[in-house]
Amino acid sequence: MSGVLVIARKELKQLFTSPIAYVALAMFFLITGFLFFSLIGVYTSQVLQLQGPPPSDFDPTRIIFSPLFQDVSFVLILLVPILTMRLVSEEDRARTMELLATSPLTSTAIVVGKYVASLVLFAVLLAISAYMPLSLAVMGRLDWGLLAASYLGLLLLGGAFLAVGLFASTLNENQIVSAAIGFALLLLFWVLGFAQQASGSAVQQVLSSLSFSTHFSSLASGVVDTQDIVFFLSLAGFFVFLGVLALESRKWR
Amino acid sequence: MIQADSLSRSYGERWAIRDVSFQAREGEILGFLGPNGAGKTTTMRILTGFLAPTSGRASVAGFDIVDNPMEAKRRLGYLPETPPLYDDFTTREYLSFVARLKRVDRRKVDDAVDRAMSMCGVEDVADRLIRNLSRGYRQRVGLAHAIVHDPQVLILDEPTSAMDPRQIVEIRKVIRGLRGSHTIILSTHILPEATALCDRVIIINEGAIVAVDTYEQLAARLRSSEKTLVRTARALGDLAARVGRVPGVLHVAPGPGRGEWVVEAALGRDVREHVARAVVEADAGLLELRPLAMSLEEVFLKLVTHEDEAAADGEREGARA
Repeated sequence: MSGVLVIARKELKQLFTSPIAYVALAMFFLITGFLFFSLIGVYTSQVLQLQGPPPSDFDPTRIIFSPLFQDVSFVLILLVPILTMRLVSEEDRARTMELLATSPLTSTAIVVGKYVASLVLFAVLLAISAYMPLSLAVMGRLDWGLLAASYLGLLLLGGAFLAVGLFASTLNENQIVSAAIGFALLLLFWVLGFAQQASGSAVQQVLSSLSFSTHFSSLASGVVDTQDIVFFLSLAGFFVFLGVLALESRKWR
Repeated sequence: MIQADSLSRSYGERWAIRDVSFQAREGEILGFLGPNGAGKTTTMRILTGFLAPTSGRASVAGFDIVDNPMEAKRRLGYLPETPPLYDDFTTREYLSFVARLKRVDRRKVDDAVDRAMSMCGVEDVADRLIRNLSRGYRQRVGLAHAIVHDPQVLILDEPTSAMDPRQIVEIRKVIRGLRGSHTIILSTHILPEATALCDRVIIINEGAIVAVDTYEQLAARLRSSEKTLVRTARALGDLAARVGRVPGVLHVAPGPGRGEWVVEAALGRDVREHVARAVVEADAGLLELRPLAMSLEEVFLKLVTHEDEAAADGEREGARA
């Protein structure tokens, strides 16, 4: 356990002393900020077109934040591989993996420590992004239940993405290649949900239940279903486990 | 302290080391001497648990490195050929990270770091980023990281590679200072380094141990004689005496197999022709006659035998970097 903390602390220190975390955060907030701004524009124009009292389903949270979080989830496909690409690849390149692997801690502790650090960074990112709903909450009423479900969805989605990216990073000592593998894996899991017309109904059901987008959509629409939570948690666990296997197998190659 | 029992390691088809066995006694400096690519690094990586052996066992301070890696690694300090440094840390930050990684008690981390820094003479660069350090300092910080948790066993892979002569002298002083309180294995392809530092030397070539001894004994063995193996069809009693009378032959001893003899001749004298004639004349049925490969000597030929060359190597590499 203490090994996990030592690794996680080191990773966070490295993340925040290197430009990569700041570049990634800046990129994220630039894009989401623009999306937020334009969605407020959409909402404003809808308000202006209203005639008479607003219909019962006229809800700023649904008009602004549901599409925003859908877009954010897609931005994360691009962002997460950049955050995770150096986690193991850089240790391989700098030959520092030799230090970690010959220290009294297990491969599990190394991988989990790195995973925890990336989760912390991601949680910071989500916490900062809360400025968007909070700034609107000053002026009007929001559907906090929906927002909470969406944020839970983002946290789970990010957790699974980070595990995939971390696994990709164990495969190669080149950061760019690791980012590319991570990106490809994430995109694959995303587009599995698009396979609807292409195949028969049984296959389609299996594929879409493996897709990130299907499970995230239901959380982002305010439905907290244990099925979706279990999906994301087990996917994260599975890829962290694959990462541990990848490190452990190096001893025998 | 360190025990290796018939360690073997293959990478696919190729064997990096085969059937390597040795032990290091408590408090001694054991040198791993061999040309580049002899299997030194592979052996060290197995001892440190970085690689698993394909077969064989190894233990450090009584703990098997495969079955009980945590206990073994706790007692182990390892300096790989490339020091594993984090460029974006300062020396002090890096060493305290390593100390915590090696399970040094939280309250003792600062003391351990200060002690390691003063032993390796890196206090001057304590608060500088590692990325800005010179090669010599990087190597010394690397040595400091290996001893920060005061391990019983130290494994150093080419600790003086790519350093200038003055730095080499300093590093050796540090290593000598650790003798006695630590068991040290260090690898080198430079002969004078092994003679200057090590109590005993293991000579390794093409993945196998060629000899284990003190340097003086090895050198004595080298200079002794020229050996030839003779195999005959019939083991005649008087053959040894007959061959012994050949001019230049010093000694004839029974060989490992039936009808085999080992003929020793003075250094630099080829007696094979005369020995063959003697055997044929004795009608012993000469089956084979070949020089016994002095693999030890061959290995020595491949070693860097002059300190200057090593320093020059270092300079060339430095210029390239």
